[in-house]
Formats: sequence, C-alpha cells, structure tokens
Amino acid sequence: MTELKQAPPVLKLENVAVAYKVRGGEIEAVQDVSFDIMRGETHGIVGESGCGKSTIAWAVVNFLGANGYVKRGSIKFQGQELVGVTGEELRRLRGDQIAMVYQDPMQALNPSMRLGDQMSEVLTVHRGMEQKAAEKRCIEMLERVYMPDAANVMKRYPHQISGGQQQRVVIATALLNNPALLLMDEPTTALDVTVEAAVLDLIAELRREFDTAIMYITHNLGVVARVSTRVGVMYAGEMVERATVEQIYQNPYHPYTQGLIRCVPKLGADKAKSVLYPIRGRVPPPNNRPFGCVFGPRCDYIQERCREERPQLRQMPDGAMVRCHFAEEIDALQWTPSEDIVPPSIEVKDGAVEPIISVGDLKKYYEVKGSSLKDVLGFGEKRHVKAVENASFDIPKGTTLGVVGESGCGKSTLIKTLIGLEDATAGEAEFLGFDITTNISERASELIQELQMVFQNPDSTMNPSYTVGQQIGRPMRRFNTVPKDQIRGEVVKLLKAMRLGENYFDRLPRQLSGGEKQRVGIARALASYPDLVLCDEPVSALDVSVQAAILNLLLEVQQEFNTTLIFIAHDLSVVRFFSDQVAVMYLGQIMEIGPAEAIYAPPYHPYSEALLSAVPIPDPTAVQKHIRLEGNVPSAINPPSGCRFHTRCPRKDLLPDGGKICEVEIPPWREAVQGHRIFCHLPLETLRTFDPVITQSTEGS
Amino acid sequence: MLVKDYMMRHPIMISPETPAAEAQQLMIENNVRHLPVVGDGKRILGLITRNKLRVPPTDLGSLNVWEISRLLSDLKVKDMMVKHKDLITIGPDETLECAAQMMIKSKVGCLPVVEDEIVVGIITEVDMLAELSDLLGGTVAGVRVTMRVPDKVGEYAKITSAIASQGWGIYTSGGVPSPKQPGFWDVVIKVRNVSKDDLIPVLESIEGQEVVDIREDL
Repeated sequence: MTELKQAPPVLKLENVAVAYKVRGGEIEAVQDVSFDIMRGETHGIVGESGCGKSTIAWAVVNFLGANGYVKRGSIKFQGQELVGVTGEELRRLRGDQIAMVYQDPMQALNPSMRLGDQMSEVLTVHRGMEQKAAEKRCIEMLERVYMPDAANVMKRYPHQISGGQQQRVVIATALLNNPALLLMDEPTTALDVTVEAAVLDLIAELRREFDTAIMYITHNLGVVARVSTRVGVMYAGEMVERATVEQIYQNPYHPYTQGLIRCVPKLGADKAKSVLYPIRGRVPPPNNRPFGCVFGPRCDYIQERCREERPQLRQMPDGAMVRCHFAEEIDALQWTPSEDIVPPSIEVKDGAVEPIISVGDLKKYYEVKGSSLKDVLGFGEKRHVKAVENASFDIPKGTTLGVVGESGCGKSTLIKTLIGLEDATAGEAEFLGFDITTNISERASELIQELQMVFQNPDSTMNPSYTVGQQIGRPMRRFNTVPKDQIRGEVVKLLKAMRLGENYFDRLPRQLSGGEKQRVGIARALASYPDLVLCDEPVSALDVSVQAAILNLLLEVQQEFNTTLIFIAHDLSVVRFFSDQVAVMYLGQIMEIGPAEAIYAPPYHPYSEALLSAVPIPDPTAVQKHIRLEGNVPSAINPPSGCRFHTRCPRKDLLPDGGKICEVEIPPWREAVQGHRIFCHLPLETLRTFDPVITQSTEGS
Repeated sequence: MLVKDYMMRHPIMISPETPAAEAQQLMIENNVRHLPVVGDGKRILGLITRNKLRVPPTDLGSLNVWEISRLLSDLKVKDMMVKHKDLITIGPDETLECAAQMMIKSKVGCLPVVEDEIVVGIITEVDMLAELSDLLGGTVAGVRVTMRVPDKVGEYAKITSAIASQGWGIYTSGGVPSPKQPGFWDVVIKVRNVSKDDLIPVLESIEGQEVVDIREDL
C-alpha cells in the first residue's frame, strides 16, 4: 500500500530528564531519554524495577507528584509541547487524547460506583453526551473488548467481576474517547497467563483498528516480544538500547540487554541442559549512580574508558540505537560467564528413588456458611468449596515437583494442606512414615522440622523488628538442631551459602532489597535442614536477574542437601526449567501429571495445551498455536459435573455427540508413558495427534 | 473502501483560543495543511488551513510595523478558522466516492471526519490520490494494460477468463467510460509475474476488444 504522507510521531521525547526534589537536593530519576512513537505503533519499554520506566509514563501526563518535574528536554505530543503545560489545557488533553491503563485494575476503578456509572462519566463529562447515549456507547465498547454479557456488567460493582474482566473494563474506559496515545504500565502483570494472552490479543487488535499509539511498559520479556514493534531497554534511568523487537532478541548490542535475555529460561529449556546466568550486582539507586557508564559495575566487558566517559546513545549500522562504547566489539555468542558466577552443576538422577512423600486422593473442602435462617440454625444444606479434589502423586527424594495452573485452581491450598496450615478433608498423605493429613498443631516437632516453606512475598513473612540473624536462627533454637553456642556460626554458614556476607547478620529486613529478602526467606526455610521445602511462587515478585540468581541458588541447595521441593509458579518456562515432574491443576483437580519434558510435548491434556499456547515467549520468531479459553474459571462451590474442564474445553468436540460424556462422567486417568498421566476422556491416540504448541522457526542455541 | 479505512486517525488538533501564529508554526513543523479546531471532548468547532492564515493586506490598515505586530499577536485561531456552520464534513462510514464528490463540488482539499460532532479523523486529497494509486496497483511491479472494450455485458469476463486460462491472475483493475470513444469503456488491469511479450498475444486474441496501451511498470 502507498505510504501515506510522512505522518509526524504521536509522541516524541527528546533528552528528557526527570528529577524529584528530596531533602538535601534533587534526584534525577530519568536522564537523557529520547524516543518517538508513531501512530498505530506499540513501543515497548523494558527493564528491571527502579529503572525509571514508569517515571517516563508519568512525565508524559505530568503525574509526577508535588516534588517531581521535567528538568530538561522536551516532550511533544502531536507536535505540541507538553512540558510546562498545566491546568486546564492538560486536563483536556488527558481526557480527550491520552489515556492510561495501570497494573492493578482495582486501583483504577472506584469500588463504590457501579461500572456503568464510572464508564459513562467519561463521556458525559468530557463530551457532554446524554446519559442514555453514553451508556449505549459504553456497552458497545465493552462488547468490543469481548466482555461477556456487557449490558449486565454495567450494573455491577468492580468487586463483582474477575480481575481479567476488571482490566477489560479499564481498557474499554481508556478507549471510550478514542485516544491518540495509550500509556500502559504493566497492564497484564497481575493477570493469569490465559487472561493475559486474551488481553494482549485485544491490545494488538485495538491498535490496528483504532490506529492508537501505545507505550507499553513491562518487565516481562515475553510479553514485549508478543506486542511490540519497537523496544527500548531502560537501565538506571537511561535508555541503553532501542531497536525493533527482532533486533533486540536476535542481535542485542548492549551487554545489559544480552544479560537480561540470558536470565530468562527459554520455554523448553531444562536445568540439566541449560544454565541461567544472573547479572551480578543490582541496579544502583538514582542518587548513587556510577560515573561513566551506568552499567559499568555490572558489565563483563568493562574497560578504562567506561569508567571515565559516559557513553552516548548512537546508531549502529542496522539502525539500532545503543548506549555503549564497545557495542561493535561485543559478541553475545562469544560470551563466557565471569568467575564470580558459578552455575550450579546438576546431576541427573537415574534409577528409581524411594518416594519421600506420597499423596493419595487428598481432598480439601472448605465449608461455606450460608446466610439464610436455616443455615444459621444449622439445618441448611452444607455447601463446600472443593479446593483440592483427589490429588495423588509421589515425589522421589531429591527431585522437584512443579505445580502450575491459573489462580484459584488450588495450588496454594494443596501445599498449605501438606504443611498443615489446613486440615485435609479426606485422603492420605504420608511423609517419611508420618501421616501429614493432620493440623500443624498436632504434629510432632521432628515432622515440622522436616517440612518447611518459602513464601511468595518475603516482606510479609518476615518480622520487621527482628534482625536477619535472629530470624534464621529461630528454627535452629526451636528444634534444637544446633547447640546454642554454635547457632551464630551456622547462620553465617547459611548466609554465605545464600551469597550474603556475615555483615547481613545484624541487618533488619527493611535494609535489604527484594532479592536479598527472598534469600533470607530461603535460608530460614533451610535452617532446620528439612527434607521437603514447599515453595509458593518464590520468584514471582522478583526481577528477572534476581530470579535467575534465586533459581540457581535453590538448585544448588537441592544438590547439596538432597532436598525435595514442591515448586509453585505461574511462569511455565520457569517451571519447565526447574522441575523434574510437573502437575497441571484446574479447579482443584490435577489434570495432567508427569515428567516435565512430557508435559510440554504432545500428548497434551487440552487444558495444558491451552496454557502453553498462552505463555508469552521471549522470542519474536517462535510461532504458537492460537488457543484461547472462553469464559472464566467456574466457581469451585459448584464445579461442573463430569470433567471439570468441559465448560471451556476446546477439544470436547472431538468426542462423539459433541463431548456429551465429558458433561456426565468423570474422566479416566490415561497413562501415556510411565508416570505421565492425563485426566481426559479423549483416547491417547487422539491426544497424540495434536501438533506441538510452539514451533521455533530458527534453532536457538 | 470506506472513509474510515483511508482517513488519517488522530489528526493534530488545535483549540480555538490558540494564537494564530502558533497554529501557523504547528502546521509548518509537522508538515500538515489543515488543523481541525476542537473544543472539549474533541467536539468540532471549525477548521483552519494554511490559506486561511494568510492575512489580506487590506486588513492591515496601515503598514505601520507596530500596528502589524499588535494585530498579529491578537489574532486567535477562532478569528481565522472556517466556522462549523460553513464547514463541510463527512462521516466515517461514507464511501470514498462520496467524499470525492463532496470535495469536487465544494472545491476543498480536506474533509474533517466527524461522528456525532466528534472529530475522529481527517481525509485529504492526498489520501484520495493514495487510494487511486493503490486501486490501480501503482506501487507494485507488473504489466499495466489499458483495454478498450464495448459497453456490453460479458466483456469484462472475457478479459478475466483469457488471463485465468493462462494461469495468471489480475492484481488490480479499474474501469471508466472511455473519454475518447463513446459506447466504450477503458479497463485498466495489472498482471503480475508475467512478461509483456507473453501477455500481448493473449489479450489481442480477445474478440471485439483493443489493447490501447501496455507497459511494464516499475
């Protein structure tokens, strides 16, 4: 098609620096950032937390707060300068032409207003539309973002719809005024993979249809690969590289970009064959940035010039922009890990090992109290949330079981039941000869000592007024595993194993970074030398480079102490990398369980297949099958009869009568190979005919 | 081929209270010739063009430098724009032909695209020419043929079947009543992946039709 006349960029930033006034001076959070976004383009911005990604988005709309301001440079929107514009003009612009979508949809919606009222407000206030007409348009827009039963949703309050639907409402609201520029700050981070995939599809479609320019901020390299046309990589307030998405993933110039890509496991990679290389050190705080190249202290290629002279953003022959003195000379393929990063050596265990824990038909039901008089008096029919239904598995000693599934599928309940925070309703669970279906208060302390847990959020599991040393030493004192006078020595040994020095012993949790807190959390779980550690999303809240370091650490610990792990994560490539066995859960039911490599290749359970096709892959050349589940996860109070997945199953039609049997009968377990079981009515021959979900067009090294 | 597919969405817009000098600069910097003038909620109030910003010398009164600069600094966009009541606009679901008709009749080079009084885009003569060029496959390599055919049912089918019989395909086509010969139509087609010498005998064998022009494009 004819290139229409050269349209000016929708947003153009030139040498923008954003500063915050703080006590004792100013902090430049963002320095010298330049980029432009054309109409109909999605420009991704990636980087670790604290790199100034969100600050840029706030600077565009002047949301910097009372102490922040754009210190230098210009921000032009549609050719008009935004820096210095205040008050009425800016309000008009925000409402009419720039829209924002933030990470947490619940924060963007007013919990005390009906969704319809808050959506139509946009139109009645900004456009002076009639209430009736505004409502009609809102419903149209909700239908555009594939909201089921849009007219009904208008009458509900935000808490009455699911997280994915809330985010759709926010996106629909943002699009009501047909904005020229949409700022999206981690819009899918809080969502499940399946919902995320649907939202990302939606964003791509809306961009084409409405020609909206999108600035997409995320820390997830897989998401960026899926949505963006161009990508800017931020590090410590500077844009260190900017190129098309293909260039970034295939030929990254900057050592930081190369490091980021080495941090994330490729889907299909496992711990025996590949190694994650964390970037050493951490992002410097804005008031303490190194002189010269900001990435210098963490860079493997640092030379004298990097310490003395600040590199400028310059253009490479293929059009990529990079901020590095030696970009031409650095070849990512020639890279070897520096000496201070020791990849854990993994021995692959062969031969049958005694199972350390065996679980059989474990059930966990929660009773739901009704509110009618009958219920209060105790005559009502008892209803239950069936959080875990008939879970059975064995874990051989020294191996890892990964558990995946959407939120609310019972992953956490399963391990809470094992550790004793919840009573099991029925079933058996045996660990080292102990029965572990009982509550933790009834358990022997030797048993508690052997079963420990690492939590998702290290902040909320640590006592803020106890020092690191006290917290790690507590299990040792409690279980008398170590004589009192040797506790300090043991704690220091553990700290060293976590790559934290002895000087951390007397620190308080608030003096640690997120990654360090999680290391302390792991050290505490290991302090009693347990045989089984339950990890509930231990790396989800961490940046990719820290995540790589923590995963390596866990692998090392597992090798050294021969610990058995149950590992919950929603990132399927991390689970594939980390686990020996994987269990896929849906609505409390294990749908498929088996060796990791078997789960990620045909034959698939239809649900595993759908999950895999939704994972964002950090490789723009990979081709995925397009399977999107419709509807929401049904309520666990009243799960669908027969196969719990039948209401959303895309493969049901392969059975006679459109899968009538799925609605009536509970499916059988089908054993594909030794230890790989699939819970489905479809015969294995049919399941085997499914194509692999992901095909790599180029062979990755 | 509706207006909404060819218009430019999210055009640069301006508010009525902006000084005229700023509007002038905005147009030059961004290399555009028209700016829709909008109020709250992108409600259309008018249109300003480069022509409209020309101040006729008679308005200046005298050539006193001081007076001129005072006059110019007072000028706002709203003083110089084409007002809404005089403005010709089009809806996004109209056809391009309809837009072209409107532009020809009123001799304007640009139509703001408006839905419920809200500006959703702008369509200019350049967009129209881009559409014409695409319609005739102006940007792709191939053989461009003009055939003169009698104004009868089934003539077009003759061309398509002659080309299809050779295993070729027509990339684009367009037809107009011949300006030179009443009762005949000039049909322009573009065929790709074929040489002119192979194509000529096939087209000349069609009865009652004449190859007026044939050339290899690009």
